[in-house]
Amino acid sequence: MVELQNVSVTYSSGVDALNNVSLKINDGDFAFVVGSSGAGKSTMIKLLLKEIDATSGVVTVNGYNLNKLKKRKIPEFRRTLGFVFQDFRLIPSMTVYENIAFVLRVIDAPIKYIRKRVPYVISLVGLHAKTNSYPDELSGGEKQRVAIARALVNDPQLIIADEPTGNIDPELSYEIVELLKGINDQGTTILMVTHEHDLVRHFGGRIINITDGEIVFDEVISGIGDEPLPEEDLAAAMARAGMTGQIQVPQQPEIQTPGIVTSTEDALIDEVIAAIAGIDQGGSE
Amino acid sequence: MKLSGFKYLTNQGVENIWKNKMMAFATFCVLLISLLLVGIAGLFYLNLNSMILGLGNQNEIAVYLDPSLSQQDVDSFADKLSSLDNVDTIEYISKEEAYERMKNQISDGRAIFDYIDGYEFMPDGFSVTVINNDTIEDTTAKISALTGVKSASSSLQVAEFLRELRRVVTIIAVAIIAALVLVSMIMISNTTKASVFARREEIQIMKYVGATNSFIRFPFFIEGMVTGFFAGAGSFFITWAVYRAVYRILTEQGTLMNAFGYSSIIPFKDIRLPLAGAYLLAGALLGAVGSVVSTKRHIDV
Repeated sequence: MVELQNVSVTYSSGVDALNNVSLKINDGDFAFVVGSSGAGKSTMIKLLLKEIDATSGVVTVNGYNLNKLKKRKIPEFRRTLGFVFQDFRLIPSMTVYENIAFVLRVIDAPIKYIRKRVPYVISLVGLHAKTNSYPDELSGGEKQRVAIARALVNDPQLIIADEPTGNIDPELSYEIVELLKGINDQGTTILMVTHEHDLVRHFGGRIINITDGEIVFDEVISGIGDEPLPEEDLAAAMARAGMTGQIQVPQQPEIQTPGIVTSTEDALIDEVIAAIAGIDQGGSE
Repeated sequence: MKLSGFKYLTNQGVENIWKNKMMAFATFCVLLISLLLVGIAGLFYLNLNSMILGLGNQNEIAVYLDPSLSQQDVDSFADKLSSLDNVDTIEYISKEEAYERMKNQISDGRAIFDYIDGYEFMPDGFSVTVINNDTIEDTTAKISALTGVKSASSSLQVAEFLRELRRVVTIIAVAIIAALVLVSMIMISNTTKASVFARREEIQIMKYVGATNSFIRFPFFIEGMVTGFFAGAGSFFITWAVYRAVYRILTEQGTLMNAFGYSSIIPFKDIRLPLAGAYLLAGALLGAVGSVVSTKRHIDV
């Protein structure tokens, strides 16, 4: 759970990045955070990662009061989170396997568990054939799938995805969000910051718009893929969320996962959902 | 931390050397040069000090015995002299020999000896060299206090001069070595900083996934230590080669060596083990500490 109570952040330069923001994201939610550049989205992410502290207000994430969190407890707190960044942030000197296994190494997980869990998560994101590849040998979409696998491997309560589709082809963006949706369906809370309004329109759900450091919109709306709203209602909701423009229904992309999976997006989602269900069972072993 | 975690981090540290071989090589070179600078300066000082001590050993105490002593007393006196602290060698100088030496020393006034009948008036004596020239004064006093000694004297000016020379040389050497250590630390610090800077993103990623500072630092520690260890080994072998070459040249230069005494230059075999230990320890320590300290700036995210 994420809760911000009357949170303000003022940088030393005097810039008010967040202004009296209150927000609650419950366990199992999937929320899009939208807003223009400089609106305060990145500041909010930094707050949630405990990279910066709030000037005032209370920030609570996964039961940790970040205002009172001691420095030495930050690693423990961050282990309850998963991160997906726009620029992937994979360790270039490590293979796909090592990048993902690293998260489990950090928590001193047993070797046996690492050997079982990591290939499993890699297969979830359809990269089994790339297990021993280095990040430089992967496409943008593949890198982001590795990043998602890394965020997922530790079975976190919350995944924060900061513009996860910002550096990949538009058609692959849907695939990435579908992956995140599949993870969310299994109970993991997802907070996704994005600029891509088409994605938000397509998937719908909870949309939080931050403008000039304030939340100006926070509602759940249906996506195009859901039971459709009447067109005028959808248009009105989008306008309130600050998202304008032509609503485009994306083509369903063909997912290419060399050597292992050649299936449609839906098939992959089914696979992910089934696999995650398997993890939960496996986790209780 | 479990044993498997320890092994993993140690392996990571060693693997990182290969993965970041260019930066590791730069660190290795800087450590090697730094260790060589300090090591060779240190050895130079040790040898200079040894040479000055060698000169001091040539400073003698002239001991003159009471002429009334019998030969048996003189023999027993030699034993007493040898048992004193700080006495290195003793050389017996008989009345006759002393007489001859005096005649040679006063070559311009040899005629005076025509008026002297025999050498019986000369005392028996000893020429004594000491182990530590700095305390020659005390040793001279102790000899003077022995029964049967008419006089014992040494060149205190020489002792004082050599003591002062050693003091000045030590101060200069310590200053030079301290400056070299400082320069080396700056060089090592900058190189390890550059090495860590190249991997700052890696450190940040580790922080984001919940790695503790010690978990992040440990591979850097191992990496720095191993690199430093090899730099220490490299420095040792280079020093060995240079030292042996210089030693050979100096021993072939008989004049110079005679002036100080052959024993004044320390043979490499006498310093081989402590030198290897010092190089390896200093290399490993500097490498490890340098790497770990350099991570500090990037670890606070």
